[in-house]
Amino acid sequence: MSPRQSAPQVAPLSTVGRDTPRIDAYERVTGRATYTGDLHLPGMLYARVLRSPYPHARIRSIDVSGARALAGVRAVITHETHPDVVYGSGSIAGGRQYSDAAKDMTLHKRYMFDNPVRHVGQPVAAVAAVDRHVAEEALELIDIDWEELPFVLDVEEALEPDAPRIWPEGNIGLDFRNEPQPMTSMQGDPAAGFAAANHVFEDRYTTAFVQDAQMEPRTTIAHWEGDKLILHTPTQGISNCRHDNAKDLGLEDHQVQVVCRYMGGGFGDKNGSYYFDLIAAMLSREVGGAPVMVELTRKDDWLGTHGRWHTVQDLRVGVTDDGTLTAIELRAHSGMGPYLRRSGSLSGIDAYACSNVERVIYPVHTNRMVSGNFRGPSEPQGYFPIQSMMDGIAYDLGMDPVDFALKNMLRPTDEIRFTNYTLDQCIERGADLFDWPSRWRPEPGSDPGPVKRGAGMSFMMFRSGVGPSSAILRVDSSGRFTAFVGVTDIGPGAKTTMAMIAAEELGVPLSMIDVVWGDTDRCPYSVGESGSRTTIMTGYAVVEAARDLKRQIADRGMPQGDAVLIASATPTPSTQGMRRNCFGAHFVEVEVDTELGRTRVTKYVAVHESGRILNPLPARDQIRGAAIQGIGQALHEDLLYDFRNGQPLTAGYYGARHVTHLDVPEIEVTFIEDDDGFGPFGAKTVGEAGIILAPSAVANAIFNAIGVRMKDLPITRARILEALA
Amino acid sequence: MAEERERKSATTDLTRRDFLEGSAAALAATSATPALLGAAGSGDWADVAVARAVREQTQAAPSTPITLTVNGTEHRIDVEDRWTLNELLRDHLDLTGSKIGCNRGECGACTVLLDGEPIYSCSTLAVWADGRAVRTVEGLERDGEVSFLQQAFIDFNAPQCGFCTPGQLMTATALLERNPYPNAEEVRAALAGNLCRCSNYNAIVEAVMAAAGTLPGGGAQ
Repeated sequence: MSPRQSAPQVAPLSTVGRDTPRIDAYERVTGRATYTGDLHLPGMLYARVLRSPYPHARIRSIDVSGARALAGVRAVITHETHPDVVYGSGSIAGGRQYSDAAKDMTLHKRYMFDNPVRHVGQPVAAVAAVDRHVAEEALELIDIDWEELPFVLDVEEALEPDAPRIWPEGNIGLDFRNEPQPMTSMQGDPAAGFAAANHVFEDRYTTAFVQDAQMEPRTTIAHWEGDKLILHTPTQGISNCRHDNAKDLGLEDHQVQVVCRYMGGGFGDKNGSYYFDLIAAMLSREVGGAPVMVELTRKDDWLGTHGRWHTVQDLRVGVTDDGTLTAIELRAHSGMGPYLRRSGSLSGIDAYACSNVERVIYPVHTNRMVSGNFRGPSEPQGYFPIQSMMDGIAYDLGMDPVDFALKNMLRPTDEIRFTNYTLDQCIERGADLFDWPSRWRPEPGSDPGPVKRGAGMSFMMFRSGVGPSSAILRVDSSGRFTAFVGVTDIGPGAKTTMAMIAAEELGVPLSMIDVVWGDTDRCPYSVGESGSRTTIMTGYAVVEAARDLKRQIADRGMPQGDAVLIASATPTPSTQGMRRNCFGAHFVEVEVDTELGRTRVTKYVAVHESGRILNPLPARDQIRGAAIQGIGQALHEDLLYDFRNGQPLTAGYYGARHVTHLDVPEIEVTFIEDDDGFGPFGAKTVGEAGIILAPSAVANAIFNAIGVRMKDLPITRARILEALA
Repeated sequence: MAEERERKSATTDLTRRDFLEGSAAALAATSATPALLGAAGSGDWADVAVARAVREQTQAAPSTPITLTVNGTEHRIDVEDRWTLNELLRDHLDLTGSKIGCNRGECGACTVLLDGEPIYSCSTLAVWADGRAVRTVEGLERDGEVSFLQQAFIDFNAPQCGFCTPGQLMTATALLERNPYPNAEEVRAALAGNLCRCSNYNAIVEAVMAAAGTLPGGGAQ
């Protein structure tokens, strides 16, 4: 390894950079924090959603007369009563869900209630009743004459010519021209690169579906005041949620108010609306605008929302004798379910310096449940195959994987300029803290006895881009400041971070800042808490608003009497073509019982550079929690299907074998801090960064322990025993 | 139609009540399961809408008068036999601190203390709480002060989204009252039934360890 460099450091500030408990921690530990399901509005009705028991079927007829006749039932809606309500942001992929034009033009519209239904768990009807028992009973009284249709679950079978067609255009997701095309990218000349290689490695990797599985089951309350819709719903982005719902209901944005004070977990796929917002709104309209609460059961939530797309990935890598990469080729299939809610893209190859790269990724429709974003949407399942490949190549060339990483990772060039670059320091610090030379076995699987230890590592770079968002600051004559920010605080502590940024820039104690959040009628636009953008973008808007307010105070003095001073900001910062990334390296030691197949993580070191760390206490726990989620993806979580009847088998925490207190190691987190001059005080992405590396680092450690490469996630006991048999 | 319903319920999942009643029969020899007293009159809830809703249902849903103590306050209340303890607490006693994460005994977000023992309130019928004492997260403060355990949860950032927090707090409270100085392994074992999808497990264990020896009745050593 190259000699260590001294890590960059940043000078501490007054408020920013100090461990700060959340400003709403008291509410969170006393049961006072009100989540959507805790609300009870006067006259509120309870709603339940009936879902398809079939993976692919047509409704010949639906009879709701029994449900309507049940005492206490107030409304029943189906595709027959509401045939035209489209769930726009659920119909199209990636960033296009923010584009009204894309929602209008797509051929694959996802309706609130669709016919035919295309996955088990798809909604077909909803009932509002005086209590939830009546609503549940009413669901049982709905009679449906089903025509079962042929279904397909496997992403490669789905592309066979004789596969059941989920859409008339076939089973490849539509691009923005409505054409069924894979996502492709090509740089350099891969054929020439492979020809120049001394060794060409080829392998197939697969990754499993992972439900976001937020602890709070989805719950929406809708009611109408005249032609204005009020929605209480657990969203990561009140502004986007408002716009999506307004668009789908034919309303103007100002006719929808979205309120989300507390919500029980985000993890990526809630920055927008959900179809059950529409169901609640429609049921409420049926009952004259009275409040209707749609509650999803855990099973409804598991099968009727989204999770990380499962993949099959074929990789080819060309390399010279000295370990220089000459070409990389990826052909991948991402399982998206029947609707293209998100893109299906895959990251990871871009973290390597290689001039000849071809990528072909098919977003494939199947009759599994719909895929969507989960914390680092394209990353953990993209990094696992390529970082496993590269790890294996290092062994085959007789190189230490750490040296191979330092040799081949992407570094700044004349063409690729970074606002700062610390990946080498992350890797070197991690290797040092982990004591890589003593834990890594040069000969994999060489431990004597049935219980073997091994070490693995992986590294990443991830977007930390700047961008527009808004904030408003107010000061009154008492000298208290109020920050109006459109955040919802999904767990990382955004409210507290925004208050800390305001306090720092204004030069006042944190206790002088109040925060107004989570209500579109009271807060300006925010990008929403996905893409790890809130701290960077909304936080920078707070900085700009605070600067404006300071200027006003300097010019006019503090407000007197009933007067207030108000500053708002919607900055549009730019990095002038430079790439802005956060960086990280994870080092893992595992112990594998080769007789039982059991894997235990015995040491876990995570080193990250995420710019200046504004609040170290929750930042550390973002990394720890994300790494543990990643361990779950590596070793546990899956949604298995019965291929004979298309039924999902492991929908739930128990079935998907979620990690518990008993499964987790202590995650040792180190931040290398730096200030590249962008974002609020140099802050970068934290929330998603921690989950990217766990699957690949754990898998590489398992290889080091047992000497067999595990190529399919999750790496279960059964798979380890099978591999060793 | 009735015949059609009969067939349906035979082919769909067991209802919660079927399931819980089955469990109750198995437990009857060892636990104080109250006798069902048959249908009774209306409840006495302040919320008119809920009261109306319940009256509409009382012909169909048998209820039972019970007496229970919740956070030190005695309640005499008619509960529908199908209500879970969690429904009673959240919907009718307005104690929404305990959460429903799965409603099927997998996640622990609904954990409350029943006579001091942590139980899943989603998997406990309300009628089973007759004559017993329930403690919820709303009952942890004393004279307006949070408990040391709650303060440790604040200081160690134990809640991320906070949805599992009430359940984690209740299980940890029961642990510290029984075992004031647990080691980390004992903490993890006690909390094994409380999932945290934010996976903030490290911080939760650190917070419980920090509160060791601080709870009333548990801190004498």
